[in-house]
Amino acid sequence: MTHIQLEAIHKSYGQTQVLNDCTLEIARGEVMTLLGPSGCGKTTLLRTLAGFVRQDHGRVVVGGAEISHLAPNRRSVGYVFQNYALFPHLSVAENVAYGLKVRRRPAGEIRERVAKALHLVALDGLGARFPAQLSGGQQQRVAIARVLVLEPEVLLLDEPFNALDAKLRLTMQVELRKLIDRVGITSIFVTHDQSEAMMLSDKVAVMRAGRIEQVAAPLAIYDRPVNDYVASFIGRANVLSVEVRGGVVASAPEVVANRADGPARLIVRPENLAIAGADACWSGRILFASAQGPSIEYEVEAGLPEPLRLVVPRQAGEAALPAGAAVGVRIVDPGACIVIGGGSGV
Amino acid sequence: MTNGSGPGPAPSTHWVDAVGAAVFALVAGFALLLLVAPSLIVIAVSFEPRAYISFPPSGFSLKWYWAVFENRQLTDSVQVSLMVALWVSLLCMALGVPAAFASIRGTFPAKAGLNAFLLAPQMMPGMVIGIATLFFGAYIAFRASNTMLVLALSVFCLPFVIRITMARLADLDPRLDEASANLGAGKLETFVRVTLPQLGPALLAAGAFTFIEAFDNVTVALFTSDVRGRPLPVELYYLVQNDSTPAIAAVSAIEIGLSCLVMLVLGRTVGLERLGGPATKT
Repeated sequence: MTHIQLEAIHKSYGQTQVLNDCTLEIARGEVMTLLGPSGCGKTTLLRTLAGFVRQDHGRVVVGGAEISHLAPNRRSVGYVFQNYALFPHLSVAENVAYGLKVRRRPAGEIRERVAKALHLVALDGLGARFPAQLSGGQQQRVAIARVLVLEPEVLLLDEPFNALDAKLRLTMQVELRKLIDRVGITSIFVTHDQSEAMMLSDKVAVMRAGRIEQVAAPLAIYDRPVNDYVASFIGRANVLSVEVRGGVVASAPEVVANRADGPARLIVRPENLAIAGADACWSGRILFASAQGPSIEYEVEAGLPEPLRLVVPRQAGEAALPAGAAVGVRIVDPGACIVIGGGSGV
Repeated sequence: MTNGSGPGPAPSTHWVDAVGAAVFALVAGFALLLLVAPSLIVIAVSFEPRAYISFPPSGFSLKWYWAVFENRQLTDSVQVSLMVALWVSLLCMALGVPAAFASIRGTFPAKAGLNAFLLAPQMMPGMVIGIATLFFGAYIAFRASNTMLVLALSVFCLPFVIRITMARLADLDPRLDEASANLGAGKLETFVRVTLPQLGPALLAAGAFTFIEAFDNVTVALFTSDVRGRPLPVELYYLVQNDSTPAIAAVSAIEIGLSCLVMLVLGRTVGLERLGGPATKT
């Protein structure tokens, strides 16, 4: 059941088009991630939902009601800022109570709901502290409690893990996902970190230059990227210019291509390539090898515009082939390769 | 070339450092003395029992303090100055705080020009503002009066308020406003609950500085104040010219004491380092 609909959102600042025809549907209780490099418009799209940015065209619909024209303070949309934007002059409890006070709830109810919200994010007993006295992870949880206490329809999070160090980030990601599942709230994340997107979301929307390129489950995006941009943004990929002839790729005939003859691009993940002998599709020389415990990474110069990247599983005691060695490269699973429309590779 | 700038603990560097430190302490001490000495001398003079100014005082007496409180002319002028300072502070706050908001948060053409215009009175000597106001008043048949003084002083003091407020405002995260809106607060409520409490110290400082400046300003007041109900600084100015009794020193000593009190209170409540420039982030 669709909960949030963004319909053909456009936004320009002067000559610069920040959002171009963004359409997105999010089901109730789903966790969606807007993923893209910085400057692709993902934060602007999130801010449009919160009402901080007014779109030039298009509609924002939440729970069947259009909210495009509503001021930010009339929307039931919780927003967690990248720097958390906690009120520095208010204690943790007062920060969490803010929205309830604005709604003129009775003091007893406020106290009860604040305590419940702080318990939800495991900050019991820290209500009297001030934001400056908290660690980054604790501040983030205050920011989340501050919006969840209002029981909003939607939770929006703008790069919530950016301000945390790498170690804490992983724990907080897991904790946050668990929390969202417990509350069951429709959530939208913004991030430029693809592993974060894979880990947190039910669905990922990959954005580029104000456009949404693909919306799908994380693994589906990894396995079936619609274009080379998405393929190289989610994980790594070899994108090769090839010829399709008679329903197969000319240089790798085991790959079936359901498309007309002509130039095309073949997308192969590094782990879908292997070192081969006689049955090789390409042959060349090893440029670079690095053994990393469970796997070995190779770069192979095979007469293509860019070297081929391989990730092959490593047996115990196995050493990497030396740089300069002549090798063949074959495709492991032709079915996992993707052939898309013409032009040259990236 | 064995000692001096070579590596290792050369004794001559210690010697140079020691002299440097001594010179620095001497200069700093002298500067401090220059700043504080006049005030201390004035306070000492105010205890003089005889009827003329001398330093060091020949004895200790509080009679000139009583004389100040018995002098109707002086107590009246204190009242005038307090009223003038109060009105100037109110007017400057009412105009300056919104102006600071416009120049920090606003986006409109000619913003830089407006900023320069608002801060311009600071570049102008008080005398120029005083004379200009007087002449302009004469042009529209508006005579020197304490209303004119309030207006002229407000022009003079407005940049203080604007600059102090701007400095703090530039430091505030505009996302706090968005966060407040996101939690359901309207613009007015956001201002009252989020912006004002964080601006509070700066506003207090701006108000205090304006009040003190308006209270003891001479240069503007000399030309624009009422002939009969003179403010304190002008009254003192004439008093010094006619007869110089230690009563003037007593008034000065009281003013110094009150200024110290204000600074002490502000320092305790707000923190002196937050009064001047942009506040340090907590």
